[in-house]
Amino acid sequence: MANNDDPPSMEAQTTETSDGGGRGAPKINVAFRATVRRRLISLFLPSFPHTVPSPSIFRRPSQVQPLAAAVTLLTPIPLPRSTPDTRRIPPPLPATTTTNSANNAPPPNDPLASLPMANPTMKPLPSKQRGQPLVLDSRSHSQPEAQPTTPVRERRTNPSAASLFRSTLTPPGSRSGSPAPMGSPARSLTGSVFGSGGFKQSLLDTAAAENPGDPLNLILKSFVPHIAIHDSEDVEHLVKEKGFKGGLFELLRPFGERVQGRVTIRDSNGASRTWDDFSVRFTRFGEAVEDPDTLPDPRSLRGPPPNGQPHYNMPRKKTSLVQQVEQVVEKHLGFAEEASMGAATPTTPTRQGLDTDTTSPYYALYLRRLLSGIPMASHETFSHPVACVIAISSRHPAPIEALRQLYSETTPAEQRIPPWVDGDFLRYYVLVHDEERSDITKSMQLFDQMKRHFGLHCHLLRIRSSQAAETDDDSIPLPRSDWMSASEELADIERSEQLQDSFDDDPHLFNRYIFESDATAIRTFIREMVIQSIIPTMERNVSLWNDQVASRRRGISGRFMSLSKRFTVFGSSSSSSRSSTSSSNNGFETLGYYRPDTPEAIMRRLADFAFTLRDWKLAMSTYDLLRTDFQNDKAWKYHASANEMAALSLLIMPQTMSSKNRVEIINPMVEQALYSYHTRCSSLYGAVRSTLLSLELLRLRGGIGIDESVRWGTRLLEMRLFGPVGDALLRERLAVCYASKRGTGSQLWGSRRRKSAMWSVLAAQAWVSMGKYLQAQRCLADARRMYSLLPSEWGVQGFNGASECLAGLNEAVREGLRVTREYAEALEAEGGHSQGGGNREGEGEEGLGLGLQFDESSNLTIRPKADDQTTAATDHNNNAQTEMDVDVDVEQSGFNGQSSQLPSRPPQIPTPTASSKSPTPETTRGGDEQPEGFEDATPTSGPSSGHSPTRPRKASMAVRTSRVLSAADLEPAAPLPPGRDENKSKDGKDGGFG
Amino acid sequence: MSYYFAIIGTQDNPLFEYEFGTSKQGGDGMARFTEQARQLNQFIIHSSLDIVEEVQWTNGQMYLKLVDRFFTSYISCFLTASNIKFLLLHQPPSSSSSSALPHPSSSASSSTPSLVSSSHHPPSSTSVIPSLSTLTGGSNSSTSTLTGGTSRTSTSIAANPTSPQTEEAIRNFFAEVYENYVKAIMSPFYRTNMEIRSPVFRARVAAAGRKYL
Repeated sequence: MANNDDPPSMEAQTTETSDGGGRGAPKINVAFRATVRRRLISLFLPSFPHTVPSPSIFRRPSQVQPLAAAVTLLTPIPLPRSTPDTRRIPPPLPATTTTNSANNAPPPNDPLASLPMANPTMKPLPSKQRGQPLVLDSRSHSQPEAQPTTPVRERRTNPSAASLFRSTLTPPGSRSGSPAPMGSPARSLTGSVFGSGGFKQSLLDTAAAENPGDPLNLILKSFVPHIAIHDSEDVEHLVKEKGFKGGLFELLRPFGERVQGRVTIRDSNGASRTWDDFSVRFTRFGEAVEDPDTLPDPRSLRGPPPNGQPHYNMPRKKTSLVQQVEQVVEKHLGFAEEASMGAATPTTPTRQGLDTDTTSPYYALYLRRLLSGIPMASHETFSHPVACVIAISSRHPAPIEALRQLYSETTPAEQRIPPWVDGDFLRYYVLVHDEERSDITKSMQLFDQMKRHFGLHCHLLRIRSSQAAETDDDSIPLPRSDWMSASEELADIERSEQLQDSFDDDPHLFNRYIFESDATAIRTFIREMVIQSIIPTMERNVSLWNDQVASRRRGISGRFMSLSKRFTVFGSSSSSSRSSTSSSNNGFETLGYYRPDTPEAIMRRLADFAFTLRDWKLAMSTYDLLRTDFQNDKAWKYHASANEMAALSLLIMPQTMSSKNRVEIINPMVEQALYSYHTRCSSLYGAVRSTLLSLELLRLRGGIGIDESVRWGTRLLEMRLFGPVGDALLRERLAVCYASKRGTGSQLWGSRRRKSAMWSVLAAQAWVSMGKYLQAQRCLADARRMYSLLPSEWGVQGFNGASECLAGLNEAVREGLRVTREYAEALEAEGGHSQGGGNREGEGEEGLGLGLQFDESSNLTIRPKADDQTTAATDHNNNAQTEMDVDVDVEQSGFNGQSSQLPSRPPQIPTPTASSKSPTPETTRGGDEQPEGFEDATPTSGPSSGHSPTRPRKASMAVRTSRVLSAADLEPAAPLPPGRDENKSKDGKDGGFG
Repeated sequence: MSYYFAIIGTQDNPLFEYEFGTSKQGGDGMARFTEQARQLNQFIIHSSLDIVEEVQWTNGQMYLKLVDRFFTSYISCFLTASNIKFLLLHQPPSSSSSSALPHPSSSASSSTPSLVSSSHHPPSSTSVIPSLSTLTGGSNSSTSTLTGGTSRTSTSIAANPTSPQTEEAIRNFFAEVYENYVKAIMSPFYRTNMEIRSPVFRARVAAAGRKYL
């Protein structure tokens, strides 16, 4: 090990002080120098993207490969599973919270190959950047191409757990991980100065609507007709035999996510439009009746609760929906971190996010979970059943009576549904025929009988009752539902964790199979039901309500009526007479909700139906009417919801208004929704949902909308409605928002690249403080890329404090990833020797030794190749050597100090006040490059002193980078205390930040 | 009220940076930025260049007034003829930040050692505050009421970053700095985008800050 024979740490410090001091270094192995240089380059790539001799980097992988394989062989193959306790990661840095140690989800190896795809890269990079790996860790260079890393170590793999986290692991495009098409040409720009147009189009005509995982697509897919399922016991038995414990609901649910074929919907004007991606949502009858955040609160729902004991179950949840969403995303994040922890082999570059223009799969998941499982609430009718599937099976002895019984259970008289839900929904009768144990002729007879009794809304569903096994020829895996609610997914994840601990692995729990014939039957059934029954019913209802209720209100007389209502309210001075007036009208004052037969409730349902049928114009006008009504009634939650949906439909629909006008109309709506939800009703869920969705749609509108969307985002951050995960995700999202604003001209005036980069840095900070280093790494890469795209060639590096902050973050991330990885290896080593019974200190020692060994071997793999680079390394002038020396020293200190908790000492940043002139090492370096002769030019304390523009920029940048590295890296541990502490102390300053 | 003034070159490089606090209404002229806020300020200033680049085309003036806002940080801009920008970040003392105020002020008065200690234990800043405030002579409560009192004065520049008075004060500040800046760069040895290290210039900027802000 040449690098160990010749520890260059002393030289590093001396040579760093003089500008041309790199000559002191040549003792160091050239190959190692090259390694180090690349590492530095990767750290500060944005500053000089053109100068990197890229071929030498890219020739690497082919030759490294065998050695990399040898590296993987070096790692021990131990581990019968250790106890969950030892599997925990120690908090690697003092300030990191132990969030990911809290969940013990076993890290399987099989998602490793697919894990990097969680950072989808969609937009091709500019050619000058393509392929230059923006990586933080030198070891990642030894394998720059994404090779499917075969997991050598036998950590206990668990495919079922991996399938649980599939939504954030699978490649983009297929699932929620798909990126937002920010570069889509359909979105032209409307800047305040630059560009124009843009608001003319309906958002649905943009590419975003088709892209799964895109927020617009999520919105379209989440506000869909809800169909309740009410089945008899024998159906549940039958389905249970097939392996679905949840009954028919569980079997049908995945199929509702995409109705087969095209669906044609007529809007209120009679014009029909065809949709490819119509979907419905199945719910269990009478479930998920809940106000998401709180029980009806006296301000929002005034008056006593409805009399009598309601039979519908209202599960009391300890945590609100938003918190559950956070937990789910947190679990996914933890899974990703732990999965990467198993990656002892150098990281593949796809793990480094190269592109800002992509949605983080975690953000998509966050939105999806926020939107899935919209609870059945009184103020919006999206989750109220549009239809109810009443199902019996062919095994039932008295089928018609059973159907009648089930029907009567769905009537409001039974109080299975809350009183604010309209009980007059469509009933759809299904006879589930058991292909294996029942007689088809008898079933056909029964079906005919059903048709006679109940009309046309009947279906005969023929399925097999036996369980499909994976090995069967015609079995296909039944996907998990994309739209399970956060609590469900949490329960699933917890269950899988328990299964892990108890060795009781049931392969059929999460990977289930059904026969293809069954799948076809169910698809046909759903298509038939949707096309022939549900959509016509909804269309009919829409036109009926529109004629009878809404248009009456829209006309002159309707306006007059509402006016007169208001005048009687104002005219009556006493509040008692006033309440009596309004209660006689709609009963809101006394009941706390609108009865389903009041005009307000009907109009709300009309608007929601129109929204789900994608008739935005009708929806918008109806919501607009309702806004004023609800405001007059002081029904704040209704008011908030109507405002929210009005803003959303206005954002989606095409309009000819100028963008500025439109923003001026939309902003008050969002504002009122936020205020009513948050302040008046303290409904966290509503506030978050309305603002996030508006943010997304505004972003899609481009131009001025992007600034607005960021404004809403910062508003949300300021209000601190999120937990730490949501906060970091939103920061990331704001970076994406800004990045999606395109500039004009060669200088791209009007773009927001600097802003975007700043938000990426802020997001990285948030991730680091949570110990999610993978995410932080990706954010930093995004920031670096954005800075490198700036025309100024300096990025933010000109600012010493900012660049130190970046370096500190880099270091924290690198340290965090290394510690995590080494700890994983330590665990393995430990598991090899004993059954994971060693104490903590022992493991730390092991990790240290092992990490050292690994590092050496990885350098070994690099060395023979790096000789090719000597020319490139040496002709880069002396400053290159300076950098090497500094970084070699870093490596050394890394060897000594790794995985041990050293006191974090921040870099001593001289305060840039006029008075304090503390002589720092940096200032002495500036000797020969000070522009001689600028009058009174004394080296002030600012470390950025001494960059003469006469020097080649390359060289001065090299000096700069080496200096920054020395400031950040010579400190043994992360110089920036990456903790919540930092956020906390920052909070005070910038008010609501963190 | 704390100010961070930066002159930004054509390549987004800072030519001159200076932090100061308000000197009006009993202010001591010290900036109250934490170490993190100091780093963040540079990011904010840098990022608001995006806005400046857009706004400069809408406005014929050199003084662009308030161009950007990042939470409680407000950024005003003054363009010079050679595309060198003066950016002033001003941060009114909000009620939420007043508790954090004494902490950075102490670190500003006593330099590096206290910095180290304070960023070692950011949450324990409350324990640091009393000792340091006794060092400076006033009790913790009195300093906080002092700053709080200034912030509540409605007419003060500090309280309303968007008011016309503030706008005018910043205009005067920028005008004076610009005059001195022109004098400074008239040095025959100065070239474009070179850092300005003249202590005379620094002193004059400080004087302008004391005078107007």
